[in-house]
Amino acid sequence: MIRDLERVRNIGISAHIDSGKTTLTERILFYTDKIHKINEVRGKDGTGAIMDSMELEKERGITIASAATYCEWNKHNINIIDTPGHVDFTVEVERSLRVLDGVVLILCSVSGVQSQSITVDQQMKRYKVPCIAYVNKCDRSGANPVKVSQQLKDKLGHNSVMMQLPIGLEDKHEGVIDLVAMKAYFFEGENGEEVVTKDIPDDMMEDAEIAREEMIDAVSLYSDDLTDAILEEKEIPEELIMQAVRTGTIARQMTPVFLGSAYKNKAVQPMMDAVINYLPSPLDIENEAIDLDNNEETVILESSFDKPTVALAFKLEDGQYGQLTYIRVYQGCINKGDTLINSRDGKKMKAGRLIRMHSAQMEEVEAIPAGHIGAMFGVDCASGDTFVSSKINYTMMAMHVMEPVISLSIVPKDNKAQINMSKALNRFTKEDPTFRTYVDHETGDTIIQGMGELHLEVYVERMKREYDAEVETGQPRVAYRETITRKALFNYTHKKQTGGAGQYGRVAGFVEPCEEEFEFVNKITGGRIPTQYIPACEKGFKGCMDKGPKLEFPVTGIKITIDDGAYHAVDSSEMAFQSAARGAFLEAYLKAKPVIKEPIMKVVIETPNEFQGGCMGLINQRRGIIQGSQEEGVMSVIESQVPLSDMFGFSTVLRSATQGKAQFTMEFSTYKQVPQSVSEEIARKKQEEKKEK
Amino acid sequence: MLKKDLISKSPVSKTIGIKNIKDGKFGAVLSRAGVGKTSFLVQIALTRLLNDEKILHISLDDPMEKINLRYKEGYSNLIDYIGYVDPQKTVRLWQDIKPNKVGISYTEATFDTGKIRDYLKSFKKADLALPSIMIIDGLNFDKDLSNILEELENLNREFSIFVWFSMKNHREEKLCDSGFPIQLETYKDKFGKAVLLHPVEDKIEAVVLKDGDRTDQRIKLDPSTMMIVE
Repeated sequence: MIRDLERVRNIGISAHIDSGKTTLTERILFYTDKIHKINEVRGKDGTGAIMDSMELEKERGITIASAATYCEWNKHNINIIDTPGHVDFTVEVERSLRVLDGVVLILCSVSGVQSQSITVDQQMKRYKVPCIAYVNKCDRSGANPVKVSQQLKDKLGHNSVMMQLPIGLEDKHEGVIDLVAMKAYFFEGENGEEVVTKDIPDDMMEDAEIAREEMIDAVSLYSDDLTDAILEEKEIPEELIMQAVRTGTIARQMTPVFLGSAYKNKAVQPMMDAVINYLPSPLDIENEAIDLDNNEETVILESSFDKPTVALAFKLEDGQYGQLTYIRVYQGCINKGDTLINSRDGKKMKAGRLIRMHSAQMEEVEAIPAGHIGAMFGVDCASGDTFVSSKINYTMMAMHVMEPVISLSIVPKDNKAQINMSKALNRFTKEDPTFRTYVDHETGDTIIQGMGELHLEVYVERMKREYDAEVETGQPRVAYRETITRKALFNYTHKKQTGGAGQYGRVAGFVEPCEEEFEFVNKITGGRIPTQYIPACEKGFKGCMDKGPKLEFPVTGIKITIDDGAYHAVDSSEMAFQSAARGAFLEAYLKAKPVIKEPIMKVVIETPNEFQGGCMGLINQRRGIIQGSQEEGVMSVIESQVPLSDMFGFSTVLRSATQGKAQFTMEFSTYKQVPQSVSEEIARKKQEEKKEK
Repeated sequence: MLKKDLISKSPVSKTIGIKNIKDGKFGAVLSRAGVGKTSFLVQIALTRLLNDEKILHISLDDPMEKINLRYKEGYSNLIDYIGYVDPQKTVRLWQDIKPNKVGISYTEATFDTGKIRDYLKSFKKADLALPSIMIIDGLNFDKDLSNILEELENLNREFSIFVWFSMKNHREEKLCDSGFPIQLETYKDKFGKAVLLHPVEDKIEAVVLKDGDRTDQRIKLDPSTMMIVE
């Protein structure tokens, strides 16, 4: 691994479904000689693209896990993480963005900015990651990269600046004009590997000059020298323009836009030049950690190999050789044999085998220095853990992890499947914090939870293929919640004084709705409840939040204030006050007009225009609220909010209603109170379930 | 109470009136470019939303996000006009009425009443209340729209949905003998209601061209908010 960090790029490739991320990455690896043959994502020979190493990925033609690899281009070391576009796998994108320095945002030249591009953009904002845009598929009918650049401005608020013009579009797409060098590039050879530089065609010169002027104007904001050169009407050197673009991009104040067609092997190499020229090296990014030994003060990490080591574990994989932990080293260097400390639990560990990943293949290395991404074998940790050398006690911000919204019961088909299923679930839950599992104590069912139907479908399929654990799935269940809608008082005495050791405790106060999940306020004065029993009161109340008294769903949004109480010198205890708190909760809860809340999903449908009315009708039938519909060329985009409980099986319905031509994305939006009729239906189903038991 | 206050203070109440706002087939808001047709149509739609009715807003000019923004602005202007209102109440009311508004954006080439029919049918199929009015903003009345208007008349009959149009007229055109702009004159038998907006000094004057006994009503409006100027 090269130590000159200025020549290192850690980048992610992110986009909406089917924009061409994996295809693009395949081309990058080919042109950097990492692979010697290009395989298509949905290739006829069944091989599949190299980054889609999982069998399921190759079959479905979708990327599920984020695969990491590296390559060299123009004397620079580029570490690439190819990430999924499906919103169900959004945790993979979060993981990657946490540790990358820059992103190539791929957009389809026909569809432009789509729903998952918006989600990825929000993720990039959260982790302040600079990006360049690559408008892909310029060979497709309807390609319009200028429109897509405008959409970047309108829909994502980017200051997008076209750095190239297409030479031909659709089936006439031949190459690109570089507006910095003012040259035309064509791509020859069997796989477009030969970049041929020519003069700009005469019929395009005027457009190119206008576009260049607009580009320089936009970019001059980031360079005083460039502004001076413009005002003085001097000839503007390429380096000056490039430096200004780099400054603006790294500051996240502009997004340079490139274009081409990965599938047709057009203009991938200029995009790679742009990665080097405009995306940051590890030295350009300020990384922060928290010093746990110094009042949790923020410290800036230095990409220096001599400093104490700080590294973040961002992904775990359980494989045949044990747990593989992917890490990004921010400071110092992890050498083979080094002792590191996990700052979360203080445990020491030895860095055994160190690996550099190339999709599913590994290469052993002696060290992973600051600024690089690698992996370690045989380290027991969780995703988000920080590893440090013994001299310091820092921790880094962990990832933002979303709560699952859908669950499914699974039943193994036989005993062998049961054992294998447990192994599979252990592994998957460790690798993916948005995938969870538990056993329902009442039914004994194993329940899996995730971000969407596709998310769970994929894990069930992986259990079958990778662990030979065939399971039957039950009806998907929605994660309902309970909450209260008004203030209610409680004044409860827990008393057992009938001989022997007694119990006594009285708590009084009120419950009321609040924005937080749970809040406890102690307003006891005059020692009415001794201070040592207050934590027990809180524990008792909190314990009631797991199963609401109304319909046994988890409770949320409750603020509990205690302002009075009583105790007995002999019979009061922590246990007594816990019981008193439980009784008080039950007393107040039903008086506080509890209601059920359901998850509402943001559903975005992209459909050919002719099916627009029908699709809107499908949403109507599902208690959905259409927020609006927009026609974009031959497609309509319909945005809506729909209860998750009404979305099961929607993909099949949508497919039939639109001849398979529409697609949709679904992600969690908010929780909302259910209508009365739905509340009654839920209650009725719960009753039936109880009777069956 | 807040809903009733907002409806009564709306510029729509003073011009066209609220009671018979949905009687008949078609209504039009006319003006030259940029005077405020869309803003006035938004106020019409808001009176329906505040009455717990659904509306459908179709735009051939603005994208969906812009339509939504116009409604938010229109609502805020109305709230500000009536004086101080508890901000939490304002937010809650907006959250209540917002879901009843659906915005669809087309281009002139892709606008198709067939799609609207499919959408309205789905309400009946799902046993849901239909929108009471449909706003169609951006149709070009300089062209022959007989076929489209006929199809919309059919929708009006089938779904009892009143349609409000924006109608752009031009500075250089003379009014017809009836006093109507040519765009309205051509189809006047179809339109039961029409309001003309035109700039007068630094205000907008709303003139009721057609609406039974409210014809010739004239009200002055603030051009930036579309609220009545006292």
